[in-house]
Amino acid sequence: MPEITEIIGITREVAWLPWAVTYFFLIGLSVGAFALSLPHYAFGRPGWARIGRLGLLGALAAGLAAPVALLADLHQPGRFWHFYAYPNPSSWMAWGAFFIPTYLGGLFLYAWMALRPALAEDAAARGWLAPLYRLLGGPARPGLLRGFALLAAVGAALVLLYTGMEVMVVRARPLWNTPFLPVQFALTAFAGAAGFLLVLDRLTEGHEPAAEAKLNRLLAGLLLVSLAVGAAWFALGALGLEATHAAALASVRGHHSFQALALWGQAAVLAAILLALLRPAGSGWLTGLVALHAAWMFRWAVFIGGQSVPKTGPGFYDYHLPMGPSGLLGILGSMGLLVFLLVLLDALMPPARSRAAIAGATGKA
Amino acid sequence: MAGSRRALLAGLASAWAGTAAEAAAPAPAPQLGPRWGMVVDLARCIGCQACTVSCIMENAVPPDSLRTIVNTYEVTKDGVVGMAMLPRLCNHCADAPCLPVCPVGATFQRADGIVVVDSDRCVGCAYCVQACPYDARFINHETNKADKCTFCAHRVDAGLLPACVESCVGGARIFGDLNDPHSTVRQRLDAEPSAVLKPEAGTQPRVFYLHLDPLLSGKVEGTPTLWRPQHEGA
Repeated sequence: MPEITEIIGITREVAWLPWAVTYFFLIGLSVGAFALSLPHYAFGRPGWARIGRLGLLGALAAGLAAPVALLADLHQPGRFWHFYAYPNPSSWMAWGAFFIPTYLGGLFLYAWMALRPALAEDAAARGWLAPLYRLLGGPARPGLLRGFALLAAVGAALVLLYTGMEVMVVRARPLWNTPFLPVQFALTAFAGAAGFLLVLDRLTEGHEPAAEAKLNRLLAGLLLVSLAVGAAWFALGALGLEATHAAALASVRGHHSFQALALWGQAAVLAAILLALLRPAGSGWLTGLVALHAAWMFRWAVFIGGQSVPKTGPGFYDYHLPMGPSGLLGILGSMGLLVFLLVLLDALMPPARSRAAIAGATGKA
Repeated sequence: MAGSRRALLAGLASAWAGTAAEAAAPAPAPQLGPRWGMVVDLARCIGCQACTVSCIMENAVPPDSLRTIVNTYEVTKDGVVGMAMLPRLCNHCADAPCLPVCPVGATFQRADGIVVVDSDRCVGCAYCVQACPYDARFINHETNKADKCTFCAHRVDAGLLPACVESCVGGARIFGDLNDPHSTVRQRLDAEPSAVLKPEAGTQPRVFYLHLDPLLSGKVEGTPTLWRPQHEGA
Protein backbone atom coordinates (compact mmCIF):
# COMPACT_ATOMS: atom_id res chain seq x y z
CA MET A 1 0.00 0.00 0.00
CA PRO A 2 1.61 3.28 -1.07
CA GLU A 3 2.12 5.89 1.61
CA ILE A 4 1.58 9.57 0.91
CA THR A 5 2.74 12.49 3.00
CA GLU A 6 1.61 15.96 2.02
CA ILE A 7 4.61 18.30 2.06
CA ILE A 8 3.00 21.45 0.68
CA GLY A 9 -0.75 21.83 0.86
CA ILE A 10 -3.38 24.47 1.23
CA THR A 11 -5.88 25.30 3.92
CA ARG A 12 -9.23 26.66 2.90
CA GLU A 13 -10.89 28.39 5.80
CA VAL A 14 -14.53 28.07 6.76
CA ALA A 15 -16.56 30.17 4.30
CA TRP A 16 -19.98 29.72 5.89
CA LEU A 17 -19.27 31.23 9.28
CA PRO A 18 -20.98 30.66 12.64
CA TRP A 19 -23.49 33.24 11.35
CA ALA A 20 -24.83 30.47 9.09
CA VAL A 21 -25.20 28.11 12.05
CA THR A 22 -27.02 30.88 13.91
CA TYR A 23 -29.37 31.57 10.99
CA PHE A 24 -30.27 27.90 10.47
CA PHE A 25 -30.76 27.53 14.23
CA LEU A 26 -33.01 30.57 14.61
CA ILE A 27 -35.12 30.07 11.49
CA GLY A 28 -35.64 26.42 12.49
CA LEU A 29 -36.78 27.49 15.97
CA SER A 30 -39.12 30.05 14.44
CA VAL A 31 -40.75 27.56 12.07
CA GLY A 32 -41.12 24.96 14.84
CA ALA A 33 -42.52 27.47 17.33
CA PHE A 34 -45.00 28.71 14.72
CA ALA A 35 -46.20 25.13 14.19
CA LEU A 36 -46.72 24.77 17.94
CA SER A 37 -48.85 27.92 18.02
CA LEU A 38 -51.32 26.53 15.49
CA PRO A 39 -53.32 24.13 17.71
CA HIS A 40 -54.52 27.05 19.84
CA TYR A 41 -54.84 29.96 17.43
CA ALA A 42 -55.74 28.24 14.16
CA PHE A 43 -57.54 25.10 15.33
CA GLY A 44 -58.93 26.17 18.72
CA ARG A 45 -57.71 23.07 20.52
CA PRO A 46 -58.52 23.33 24.26
CA GLY A 47 -55.55 23.22 26.64
CA TRP A 48 -53.10 24.75 24.15
CA ALA A 49 -53.49 28.44 25.11
CA ARG A 50 -50.22 28.70 27.01
CA ILE A 51 -48.26 26.80 24.36
CA GLY A 52 -49.95 28.85 21.64
CA ARG A 53 -48.81 32.16 23.11
CA LEU A 54 -45.30 30.87 23.78
CA GLY A 55 -45.20 29.52 20.23
CA LEU A 56 -46.22 32.85 18.76
CA LEU A 57 -43.73 34.70 20.96
CA GLY A 58 -40.89 32.35 20.01
CA ALA A 59 -41.77 32.30 16.31
CA LEU A 60 -41.82 36.09 16.09
CA ALA A 61 -38.63 36.69 18.09
CA ALA A 62 -36.56 33.99 16.37
CA GLY A 63 -38.08 34.90 12.99
CA LEU A 64 -37.03 38.53 13.39
CA ALA A 65 -33.52 37.68 14.60
CA ALA A 66 -32.77 35.01 11.99
CA PRO A 67 -32.46 37.23 8.88
CA VAL A 68 -29.99 39.45 10.73
CA ALA A 69 -27.62 36.49 11.10
CA LEU A 70 -28.23 35.54 7.48
CA LEU A 71 -27.34 39.02 6.28
CA ALA A 72 -24.23 39.00 8.44
CA ASP A 73 -23.08 35.76 6.81
CA LEU A 74 -23.03 37.53 3.45
CA HIS A 75 -19.62 39.05 2.94
CA GLN A 76 -21.42 41.84 1.07
CA PRO A 77 -24.56 42.41 3.19
CA GLY A 78 -25.29 45.76 1.51
CA ARG A 79 -25.89 43.87 -1.73
CA PHE A 80 -28.78 41.76 -0.38
CA TRP A 81 -31.03 43.44 -2.93
CA HIS A 82 -29.13 41.61 -5.67
CA PHE A 83 -31.10 38.52 -4.63
CA TYR A 84 -34.24 40.24 -5.92
CA ALA A 85 -32.70 42.15 -8.81
CA TYR A 86 -30.77 39.23 -10.34
CA PRO A 87 -32.33 35.96 -9.12
CA ASN A 88 -30.80 32.77 -10.52
CA PRO A 89 -33.63 30.20 -10.49
CA SER A 90 -31.26 27.22 -10.51
CA SER A 91 -30.00 28.13 -7.04
CA TRP A 92 -31.85 27.06 -3.90
CA MET A 93 -30.40 30.07 -2.14
CA ALA A 94 -32.08 32.36 -4.68
CA TRP A 95 -35.44 30.71 -3.95
CA GLY A 96 -34.79 31.11 -0.24
CA ALA A 97 -34.67 34.87 -0.70
CA PHE A 98 -38.35 34.67 -1.70
CA PHE A 99 -39.40 31.95 0.72
CA ILE A 100 -38.14 33.81 3.81
CA PRO A 101 -40.35 36.91 3.29
CA THR A 102 -43.28 34.66 2.35
CA TYR A 103 -42.96 32.90 5.69
CA LEU A 104 -42.26 35.98 7.76
CA GLY A 105 -44.97 38.03 6.04
CA GLY A 106 -47.48 35.25 6.65
CA LEU A 107 -46.28 34.91 10.24
CA PHE A 108 -46.72 38.62 11.03
CA LEU A 109 -50.21 38.71 9.50
CA TYR A 110 -51.17 35.50 11.29
CA ALA A 111 -49.86 36.87 14.59
CA TRP A 112 -51.82 40.07 14.07
CA MET A 113 -55.07 38.21 13.42
CA ALA A 114 -54.39 35.80 16.30
CA LEU A 115 -53.87 38.64 18.77
CA ARG A 116 -56.43 41.08 17.34
CA PRO A 117 -59.25 40.53 19.88
CA ALA A 118 -56.81 40.49 22.81
CA LEU A 119 -55.13 43.69 21.59
CA ALA A 120 -58.48 45.48 21.55
CA GLU A 121 -59.26 44.19 25.02
CA ASP A 122 -55.88 45.26 26.36
CA ALA A 123 -55.95 48.77 24.88
CA ALA A 124 -57.33 50.49 27.98
CA ALA A 125 -54.52 49.16 30.15
CA ARG A 126 -51.71 50.20 27.81
CA GLY A 127 -51.38 53.91 28.59
CA TRP A 128 -49.82 55.90 25.76
CA LEU A 129 -49.77 52.81 23.57
CA ALA A 130 -53.57 52.53 23.76
CA PRO A 131 -54.20 54.15 20.32
CA LEU A 132 -51.87 51.67 18.68
CA TYR A 133 -53.59 48.75 20.39
CA ARG A 134 -57.00 50.11 19.35
CA LEU A 135 -55.75 50.51 15.80
CA LEU A 136 -54.41 46.97 15.61
CA GLY A 137 -57.10 45.39 17.79
CA GLY A 138 -60.62 44.49 16.83
CA PRO A 139 -63.08 41.66 16.59
CA ALA A 140 -61.83 38.19 15.68
CA ARG A 141 -61.62 37.39 11.97
CA PRO A 142 -61.47 33.57 11.88
CA GLY A 143 -61.40 33.39 8.08
CA LEU A 144 -58.47 35.78 7.76
CA LEU A 145 -56.71 34.11 10.68
CA ARG A 146 -56.85 30.73 8.98
CA GLY A 147 -55.90 32.21 5.63
CA PHE A 148 -52.80 33.89 7.03
CA ALA A 149 -51.99 30.74 9.06
CA LEU A 150 -52.10 28.80 5.80
CA LEU A 151 -49.85 31.36 4.09
CA ALA A 152 -47.35 31.18 6.95
CA ALA A 153 -47.55 27.36 6.98
CA VAL A 154 -46.78 27.21 3.26
CA GLY A 155 -43.91 29.68 3.80
CA ALA A 156 -42.63 27.63 6.74
CA ALA A 157 -42.68 24.43 4.68
CA LEU A 158 -40.81 26.18 1.88
CA VAL A 159 -38.24 27.52 4.34
CA LEU A 160 -37.66 24.00 5.71
CA LEU A 161 -37.44 22.68 2.15
CA TYR A 162 -34.94 25.25 0.88
CA THR A 163 -32.71 25.25 3.95
CA GLY A 164 -32.39 21.47 3.69
CA MET A 165 -31.99 21.29 -0.07
CA GLU A 166 -29.54 24.20 -0.25
CA VAL A 167 -27.08 22.22 1.81
CA MET A 168 -27.98 18.77 0.54
CA VAL A 169 -27.25 19.49 -3.13
CA VAL A 170 -23.61 20.35 -2.42
CA ARG A 171 -22.01 17.18 -3.80
CA ALA A 172 -18.55 18.54 -3.12
CA ARG A 173 -19.14 18.01 0.61
CA PRO A 174 -20.06 14.36 1.20
CA LEU A 175 -21.21 15.06 4.76
CA TRP A 176 -23.91 17.38 3.41
CA ASN A 177 -24.86 15.41 0.32
CA THR A 178 -27.25 12.88 1.88
CA PRO A 179 -31.01 12.67 1.34
CA PHE A 180 -31.50 12.44 5.11
CA LEU A 181 -30.09 15.89 5.78
CA PRO A 182 -33.26 17.98 5.10
CA VAL A 183 -35.25 15.57 7.29
CA GLN A 184 -32.68 15.84 10.07
CA PHE A 185 -32.70 19.64 9.85
CA ALA A 186 -36.52 19.66 10.09
CA LEU A 187 -36.71 17.18 12.98
CA THR A 188 -34.05 18.93 15.03
CA ALA A 189 -35.76 22.26 14.30
CA PHE A 190 -39.06 21.01 15.72
CA ALA A 191 -37.34 19.37 18.71
CA GLY A 192 -35.36 22.57 19.30
CA ALA A 193 -38.58 24.59 19.11
CA ALA A 194 -40.25 22.36 21.72
CA GLY A 195 -37.21 22.92 23.92
CA PHE A 196 -37.34 26.66 23.18
CA LEU A 197 -40.94 26.81 24.39
CA LEU A 198 -40.10 24.80 27.51
CA VAL A 199 -37.45 27.35 28.39
CA LEU A 200 -39.77 30.25 27.55
CA ASP A 201 -42.43 28.69 29.76
CA ARG A 202 -40.08 29.05 32.72
CA LEU A 203 -38.72 32.44 31.72
CA THR A 204 -42.03 34.20 31.20
CA GLU A 205 -44.89 34.80 33.58
CA GLY A 206 -47.67 32.24 33.82
CA HIS A 207 -45.82 28.90 33.98
CA GLU A 208 -48.24 26.01 33.54
CA PRO A 209 -47.19 22.51 34.64
CA ALA A 210 -49.75 20.98 32.27
CA ALA A 211 -48.28 22.83 29.29
CA GLU A 212 -44.78 21.85 30.40
CA ALA A 213 -45.77 18.18 30.59
CA LYS A 214 -47.38 18.35 27.15
CA LEU A 215 -44.30 19.97 25.63
CA ASN A 216 -42.01 17.46 27.34
CA ARG A 217 -43.95 14.51 25.93
CA LEU A 218 -43.86 16.09 22.49
CA LEU A 219 -40.15 16.77 22.86
CA ALA A 220 -39.44 13.17 23.86
CA GLY A 221 -41.26 11.93 20.76
CA LEU A 222 -39.42 14.32 18.45
CA LEU A 223 -36.04 13.49 19.95
CA LEU A 224 -36.76 9.77 19.64
CA VAL A 225 -37.58 10.15 15.95
CA SER A 226 -34.46 12.31 15.48
CA LEU A 227 -32.34 9.61 17.12
CA ALA A 228 -33.95 6.93 14.95
CA VAL A 229 -33.23 8.90 11.78
CA GLY A 230 -29.66 9.49 12.99
CA ALA A 231 -29.26 5.76 13.62
CA ALA A 232 -30.61 5.00 10.14
CA TRP A 233 -28.15 7.53 8.66
CA PHE A 234 -25.30 5.81 10.45
CA ALA A 235 -26.46 2.31 9.53
CA LEU A 236 -26.83 3.16 5.84
CA GLY A 237 -23.28 4.51 5.81
CA ALA A 238 -21.61 1.93 8.06
CA LEU A 239 -23.15 -1.05 6.27
CA GLY A 240 -22.50 0.49 2.87
CA LEU A 241 -26.16 0.23 1.90
CA GLU A 242 -26.27 3.62 0.21
CA ALA A 243 -23.41 5.38 -1.55
CA THR A 244 -23.95 8.98 -0.39
CA HIS A 245 -24.30 7.94 3.24
CA ALA A 246 -21.22 5.73 3.00
CA ALA A 247 -19.28 8.67 1.53
CA ALA A 248 -20.59 10.98 4.25
CA LEU A 249 -19.49 8.64 6.99
CA ALA A 250 -16.13 8.00 5.33
CA SER A 251 -15.47 11.73 5.07
CA VAL A 252 -15.47 12.11 8.85
CA ARG A 253 -13.73 8.83 9.66
CA GLY A 254 -10.85 9.77 11.91
CA HIS A 255 -12.35 13.18 12.68
CA HIS A 256 -12.10 12.87 16.44
CA SER A 257 -13.78 16.13 17.42
CA PHE A 258 -16.72 15.34 15.09
CA GLN A 259 -17.08 11.88 16.61
CA ALA A 260 -16.86 13.24 20.15
CA LEU A 261 -19.52 15.79 19.27
CA ALA A 262 -21.82 13.12 17.83
CA LEU A 263 -21.43 10.89 20.86
CA TRP A 264 -21.98 13.79 23.23
CA GLY A 265 -25.11 14.81 21.32
CA GLN A 266 -26.56 11.28 21.37
CA ALA A 267 -25.91 10.93 25.11
CA ALA A 268 -27.42 14.32 25.92
CA VAL A 269 -30.50 13.63 23.81
CA LEU A 270 -31.00 10.20 25.40
CA ALA A 271 -30.78 11.77 28.87
CA ALA A 272 -33.30 14.45 27.85
CA ILE A 273 -35.72 11.82 26.51
CA LEU A 274 -35.57 9.84 29.74
CA LEU A 275 -36.00 12.94 31.88
CA ALA A 276 -38.89 14.24 29.76
CA LEU A 277 -40.71 10.91 30.00
CA LEU A 278 -40.01 10.18 33.66
CA ARG A 279 -40.63 13.69 34.95
CA PRO A 280 -42.66 15.58 32.34
CA ALA A 281 -43.66 18.33 34.80
CA GLY A 282 -40.75 20.02 36.52
CA SER A 283 -37.89 19.12 34.17
CA GLY A 284 -38.63 21.73 31.47
CA TRP A 285 -35.62 23.86 32.22
CA LEU A 286 -33.20 21.02 31.69
CA THR A 287 -34.90 19.17 28.84
CA GLY A 288 -35.54 22.47 27.05
CA LEU A 289 -31.94 23.56 27.28
CA VAL A 290 -30.68 20.15 26.15
CA ALA A 291 -33.03 20.25 23.14
CA LEU A 292 -31.79 23.73 22.21
CA HIS A 293 -28.23 22.58 22.68
CA ALA A 294 -28.81 19.53 20.47
CA ALA A 295 -30.40 21.62 17.69
CA TRP A 296 -27.46 24.05 17.79
CA MET A 297 -24.77 21.38 17.94
CA PHE A 298 -26.30 19.42 15.06
CA ARG A 299 -26.03 22.49 12.85
CA TRP A 300 -22.58 23.27 14.17
CA ALA A 301 -21.37 19.74 13.40
CA VAL A 302 -22.87 19.87 9.90
CA PHE A 303 -21.61 23.32 8.92
CA ILE A 304 -18.34 23.77 10.75
CA GLY A 305 -17.52 20.04 10.87
CA GLY A 306 -18.40 19.63 7.19
CA GLN A 307 -16.17 22.52 6.16
CA SER A 308 -13.23 21.13 8.10
CA VAL A 309 -13.01 18.20 5.69
CA PRO A 310 -10.58 19.08 2.86
CA LYS A 311 -11.94 18.40 -0.61
CA THR A 312 -8.62 17.44 -2.11
CA GLY A 313 -6.06 17.00 0.64
CA PRO A 314 -5.61 14.49 3.47
CA GLY A 315 -6.51 15.01 7.13
CA PHE A 316 -8.76 17.77 8.43
CA TYR A 317 -8.58 21.52 8.73
CA ASP A 318 -8.35 22.93 12.22
CA TYR A 319 -11.06 25.35 13.25
CA HIS A 320 -10.61 27.80 16.09
CA LEU A 321 -13.60 29.93 16.97
CA PRO A 322 -12.58 33.56 16.47
CA MET A 323 -13.49 35.90 19.30
CA GLY A 324 -14.76 38.68 17.01
CA PRO A 325 -17.88 39.25 14.92
CA SER A 326 -17.27 36.20 12.73
CA GLY A 327 -17.14 34.00 15.82
CA LEU A 328 -18.06 34.24 19.48
CA LEU A 329 -19.10 37.90 19.42
CA GLY A 330 -21.43 37.24 16.50
CA ILE A 331 -23.07 34.30 18.26
CA LEU A 332 -23.47 36.21 21.53
CA GLY A 333 -24.78 39.24 19.67
CA SER A 334 -27.40 37.17 17.84
CA MET A 335 -28.53 35.52 21.06
CA GLY A 336 -28.62 38.92 22.76
CA LEU A 337 -30.85 40.19 19.98
CA LEU A 338 -33.10 37.15 20.44
CA VAL A 339 -33.39 37.77 24.18
CA PHE A 340 -34.12 41.47 23.58
CA LEU A 341 -36.86 40.63 21.10
CA LEU A 342 -38.33 38.06 23.48
CA VAL A 343 -38.47 40.57 26.31
CA LEU A 344 -39.93 43.28 24.09
CA LEU A 345 -42.55 41.07 22.47
CA ASP A 346 -43.49 39.44 25.76
CA ALA A 347 -44.13 42.88 27.21
CA LEU A 348 -46.17 44.00 24.21
CA MET A 349 -48.12 40.82 23.55
CA PRO A 350 -51.36 40.36 25.51
CA PRO A 351 -51.37 37.48 27.99
CA ALA A 352 -52.62 34.06 26.96
CA ARG A 353 -56.37 33.64 26.96
CA SER A 354 -58.56 30.68 26.25
CA ARG A 355 -60.56 30.92 23.03
CA ALA A 356 -63.74 30.93 25.12
CA ALA A 357 -62.52 34.04 26.94
CA ILE A 358 -61.57 35.68 23.64
CA ALA A 359 -64.96 34.87 22.13
CA GLY A 360 -66.67 36.23 25.26
CA ALA A 361 -64.69 39.45 25.17
CA THR A 362 -65.37 39.90 21.47
CA GLY A 363 -69.04 39.24 21.99
CA LYS A 364 -69.23 41.92 24.68
CA ALA A 365 -67.47 44.36 22.40
CA MET B 1 -46.63 35.32 -18.14
CA ALA B 2 -47.18 31.62 -18.72
CA GLY B 3 -43.71 31.46 -20.20
CA SER B 4 -42.12 33.11 -17.20
CA ARG B 5 -44.03 30.78 -14.89
CA ARG B 6 -42.75 27.84 -16.88
CA ALA B 7 -39.24 29.24 -16.62
CA LEU B 8 -39.59 29.59 -12.84
CA LEU B 9 -40.84 26.01 -12.49
CA ALA B 10 -38.05 24.77 -14.72
CA GLY B 11 -35.61 26.64 -12.51
CA LEU B 12 -37.06 25.09 -9.36
CA ALA B 13 -36.90 21.64 -10.93
CA SER B 14 -33.29 22.28 -11.86
CA ALA B 15 -32.55 23.47 -8.33
CA TRP B 16 -34.21 20.31 -6.99
CA ALA B 17 -32.04 18.15 -9.20
CA GLY B 18 -29.02 20.07 -7.91
CA THR B 19 -25.80 18.79 -9.34
CA ALA B 20 -27.38 15.58 -10.54
CA ALA B 21 -27.57 17.22 -13.96
CA GLU B 22 -23.82 16.62 -14.36
CA ALA B 23 -24.46 12.99 -15.17
CA ALA B 24 -26.25 13.92 -18.37
CA ALA B 25 -24.15 16.87 -19.47
CA PRO B 26 -24.41 17.42 -23.22
CA ALA B 27 -21.33 17.20 -25.38
CA PRO B 28 -19.80 20.63 -26.12
CA ALA B 29 -21.29 22.15 -29.22
CA PRO B 30 -18.90 22.99 -32.04
CA GLN B 31 -17.71 26.54 -31.57
CA LEU B 32 -16.30 29.10 -33.91
CA GLY B 33 -14.24 30.77 -31.21
CA PRO B 34 -11.61 29.37 -28.87
CA ARG B 35 -12.23 27.10 -25.88
CA TRP B 36 -9.35 27.78 -23.57
CA GLY B 37 -7.84 24.95 -21.59
CA MET B 38 -4.65 23.92 -19.89
CA VAL B 39 -2.47 20.85 -20.03
CA VAL B 40 -0.12 20.21 -17.12
CA ASP B 41 2.77 17.91 -17.88
CA LEU B 42 3.60 16.61 -14.42
CA ALA B 43 6.85 15.07 -15.64
CA ARG B 44 8.13 18.61 -16.19
CA CYS B 45 6.93 20.20 -12.93
CA ILE B 46 9.74 20.73 -10.43
CA GLY B 47 7.57 22.20 -7.67
CA CYS B 48 9.33 25.56 -7.67
CA GLN B 49 6.07 27.48 -6.99
CA ALA B 50 7.01 30.15 -9.54
CA CYS B 51 3.45 29.82 -10.85
CA THR B 52 2.06 30.32 -7.34
CA VAL B 53 4.07 33.49 -6.82
CA SER B 54 3.49 34.95 -10.28
CA CYS B 55 -0.25 34.41 -9.89
CA ILE B 56 -0.21 36.25 -6.57
CA MET B 57 1.73 39.13 -8.10
CA GLU B 58 -0.35 39.32 -11.27
CA ASN B 59 -3.75 39.11 -9.58
CA ALA B 60 -3.05 40.85 -6.26
CA VAL B 61 -4.10 37.75 -4.33
CA PRO B 62 -4.24 38.69 -0.64
CA PRO B 63 -2.22 36.98 2.10
CA ASP B 64 -3.45 33.54 3.25
CA SER B 65 -5.19 32.96 -0.09
CA LEU B 66 -4.10 31.27 -3.29
CA ARG B 67 -5.58 30.93 -6.74
CA THR B 68 -3.10 28.25 -7.65
CA ILE B 69 -0.52 26.21 -5.79
CA VAL B 70 1.71 23.26 -6.49
CA ASN B 71 0.71 20.57 -4.00
CA THR B 72 3.77 18.52 -3.16
CA TYR B 73 3.66 14.99 -1.84
CA GLU B 74 6.17 12.41 -0.69
CA VAL B 75 5.03 9.09 -2.09
CA THR B 76 6.45 5.76 -0.93
CA LYS B 77 5.76 2.81 -3.21
CA ASP B 78 7.34 -0.61 -2.66
CA GLY B 79 9.92 0.95 -0.40
CA VAL B 80 10.92 3.55 -2.97
CA VAL B 81 10.46 7.15 -1.93
CA GLY B 82 9.72 9.86 -4.49
CA MET B 83 8.29 13.32 -4.79
CA ALA B 84 5.08 14.09 -6.66
CA MET B 85 3.95 17.56 -7.74
CA LEU B 86 0.38 18.48 -8.51
CA PRO B 87 -0.36 22.05 -9.59
CA ARG B 88 -3.95 22.88 -8.68
CA LEU B 89 -6.14 25.69 -9.99
CA CYS B 90 -9.69 26.29 -11.15
CA ASN B 91 -10.55 23.60 -13.71
CA HIS B 92 -12.88 25.87 -15.73
CA CYS B 93 -15.21 22.88 -15.96
CA ALA B 94 -17.55 22.49 -18.89
CA ASP B 95 -20.24 21.56 -16.35
CA ALA B 96 -19.09 23.73 -13.48
CA PRO B 97 -20.99 23.09 -10.21
CA CYS B 98 -20.26 26.63 -9.04
CA LEU B 99 -22.51 28.11 -11.75
CA PRO B 100 -26.00 26.85 -10.88
CA VAL B 101 -25.67 27.53 -7.15
CA CYS B 102 -24.80 31.23 -7.45
CA PRO B 103 -28.02 32.93 -6.26
CA VAL B 104 -27.48 36.10 -8.26
CA GLY B 105 -25.79 34.74 -11.38
CA ALA B 106 -22.53 36.50 -10.56
CA THR B 107 -20.51 33.44 -11.54
CA PHE B 108 -20.72 32.74 -15.24
CA GLN B 109 -18.89 31.03 -18.06
CA ARG B 110 -17.67 33.08 -20.97
CA ALA B 111 -18.12 31.85 -24.52
CA ASP B 112 -14.47 30.81 -24.51
CA GLY B 113 -15.05 28.55 -21.47
CA ILE B 114 -13.37 30.68 -18.83
CA VAL B 115 -15.38 30.72 -15.59
CA VAL B 116 -15.34 34.16 -14.00
CA VAL B 117 -17.03 36.10 -11.20
CA ASP B 118 -18.78 39.41 -11.83
CA SER B 119 -17.42 41.22 -8.81
CA ASP B 120 -19.99 44.00 -9.18
CA ARG B 121 -22.77 41.49 -8.67
CA CYS B 122 -21.24 38.98 -6.22
CA VAL B 123 -22.87 39.11 -2.77
CA GLY B 124 -20.13 37.07 -1.09
CA CYS B 125 -22.49 34.30 0.00
CA ALA B 126 -19.75 31.68 -0.59
CA TYR B 127 -22.19 29.12 -2.01
CA CYS B 128 -19.83 28.66 -4.97
CA VAL B 129 -16.95 28.08 -2.55
CA GLN B 130 -18.90 25.20 -1.06
CA ALA B 131 -19.95 23.76 -4.43
CA CYS B 132 -16.50 23.59 -6.03
CA PRO B 133 -15.18 20.02 -5.65
CA TYR B 134 -11.60 21.20 -6.19
CA ASP B 135 -11.39 23.76 -3.35
CA ALA B 136 -10.42 26.24 -6.06
CA ARG B 137 -12.52 29.13 -4.74
CA PHE B 138 -12.27 31.28 -1.65
CA ILE B 139 -13.61 34.51 -0.21
CA ASN B 140 -11.12 37.30 -0.80
CA HIS B 141 -10.75 39.12 2.52
CA GLU B 142 -9.84 42.37 0.84
CA THR B 143 -12.78 42.50 -1.59
CA ASN B 144 -15.19 40.30 0.42
CA LYS B 145 -16.20 38.58 -2.79
CA ALA B 146 -15.70 35.15 -4.27
CA ASP B 147 -12.27 34.78 -5.85
CA LYS B 148 -10.65 32.20 -8.09
CA CYS B 149 -8.29 31.59 -11.00
CA THR B 150 -9.53 33.27 -14.18
CA PHE B 151 -6.90 31.76 -16.49
CA CYS B 152 -5.70 35.40 -16.31
CA ALA B 153 -8.57 36.36 -18.62
CA HIS B 154 -7.35 39.96 -18.75
CA ARG B 155 -4.04 38.75 -20.17
CA VAL B 156 -5.61 36.19 -22.49
CA ASP B 157 -7.91 38.86 -23.91
CA ALA B 158 -4.81 40.93 -24.63
CA GLY B 159 -3.16 38.03 -26.43
CA LEU B 160 -0.87 37.07 -23.55
CA LEU B 161 -0.45 33.80 -21.70
CA PRO B 162 -1.67 33.35 -18.11
CA ALA B 163 0.98 34.45 -15.62
CA CYS B 164 1.48 30.94 -14.27
CA VAL B 165 2.14 29.59 -17.75
CA GLU B 166 4.57 32.34 -18.65
CA SER B 167 6.54 31.88 -15.42
CA CYS B 168 6.61 28.07 -15.45
CA VAL B 169 10.30 27.15 -15.30
CA GLY B 170 9.96 23.63 -16.65
CA GLY B 171 7.33 24.40 -19.25
CA ALA B 172 4.91 22.12 -17.42
CA ARG B 173 1.90 24.38 -17.86
CA ILE B 174 0.68 24.61 -21.43
CA PHE B 175 -2.23 26.87 -22.30
CA GLY B 176 -4.17 27.10 -25.50
CA ASP B 177 -7.30 26.65 -27.55
CA LEU B 178 -8.77 23.17 -27.22
CA ASN B 179 -10.83 23.76 -30.38
CA ASP B 180 -7.76 24.47 -32.49
CA PRO B 181 -6.30 21.26 -33.95
CA HIS B 182 -2.95 23.01 -34.40
CA SER B 183 -2.63 24.21 -30.80
CA THR B 184 -0.07 22.54 -28.55
CA VAL B 185 -2.72 21.65 -25.95
CA ARG B 186 -4.85 19.89 -28.56
CA GLN B 187 -1.90 18.07 -30.08
CA ARG B 188 -0.55 16.91 -26.72
CA LEU B 189 -3.99 15.69 -25.66
CA ASP B 190 -4.45 13.86 -28.95
CA ALA B 191 -1.01 12.28 -28.77
CA GLU B 192 -0.73 11.31 -25.09
CA PRO B 193 -2.95 9.78 -22.43
CA SER B 194 -4.29 12.43 -20.07
CA ALA B 195 -6.43 12.58 -16.96
CA VAL B 196 -8.52 15.07 -15.05
CA LEU B 197 -9.04 15.48 -11.32
CA LYS B 198 -12.10 13.82 -9.78
CA PRO B 199 -13.55 12.56 -13.06
CA GLU B 200 -16.32 10.86 -11.06
CA ALA B 201 -17.67 14.32 -10.15
CA GLY B 202 -18.79 14.66 -13.77
CA THR B 203 -17.70 18.27 -14.00
CA GLN B 204 -15.72 17.85 -17.25
CA PRO B 205 -12.63 19.82 -16.21
CA ARG B 206 -10.69 21.71 -18.86
CA VAL B 207 -7.40 21.36 -17.02
CA PHE B 208 -5.78 18.11 -18.12
CA TYR B 209 -2.82 16.34 -16.55
CA LEU B 210 -0.19 14.21 -18.26
CA HIS B 211 1.49 11.50 -16.15
CA LEU B 212 -0.98 11.88 -13.28
CA ASP B 213 -0.70 9.18 -10.62
CA PRO B 214 -4.25 7.87 -9.97
CA LEU B 215 -3.43 8.06 -6.24
CA LEU B 216 -3.53 11.84 -6.53
CA SER B 217 -6.49 12.36 -8.85
CA GLY B 218 -9.15 12.36 -6.14
CA LYS B 219 -9.11 13.32 -2.49
CA VAL B 220 -5.60 12.36 -1.47
CA GLU B 221 -5.45 10.02 1.50
CA GLY B 222 -2.34 10.15 3.63
CA THR B 223 -0.60 12.25 6.22
CA PRO B 224 -1.50 15.93 6.08
CA THR B 225 1.10 18.64 6.09
CA LEU B 226 1.93 20.07 9.48
CA TRP B 227 2.12 23.63 8.18
CA ARG B 228 -1.41 24.89 7.67
CA PRO B 229 -1.67 28.60 8.14
CA GLN B 230 -5.19 29.92 8.50
CA HIS B 231 -6.56 33.41 8.49
CA GLU B 232 -7.94 34.10 11.96
CA GLY B 233 -10.72 36.44 12.88
CA ALA B 234 -11.70 37.28 9.33
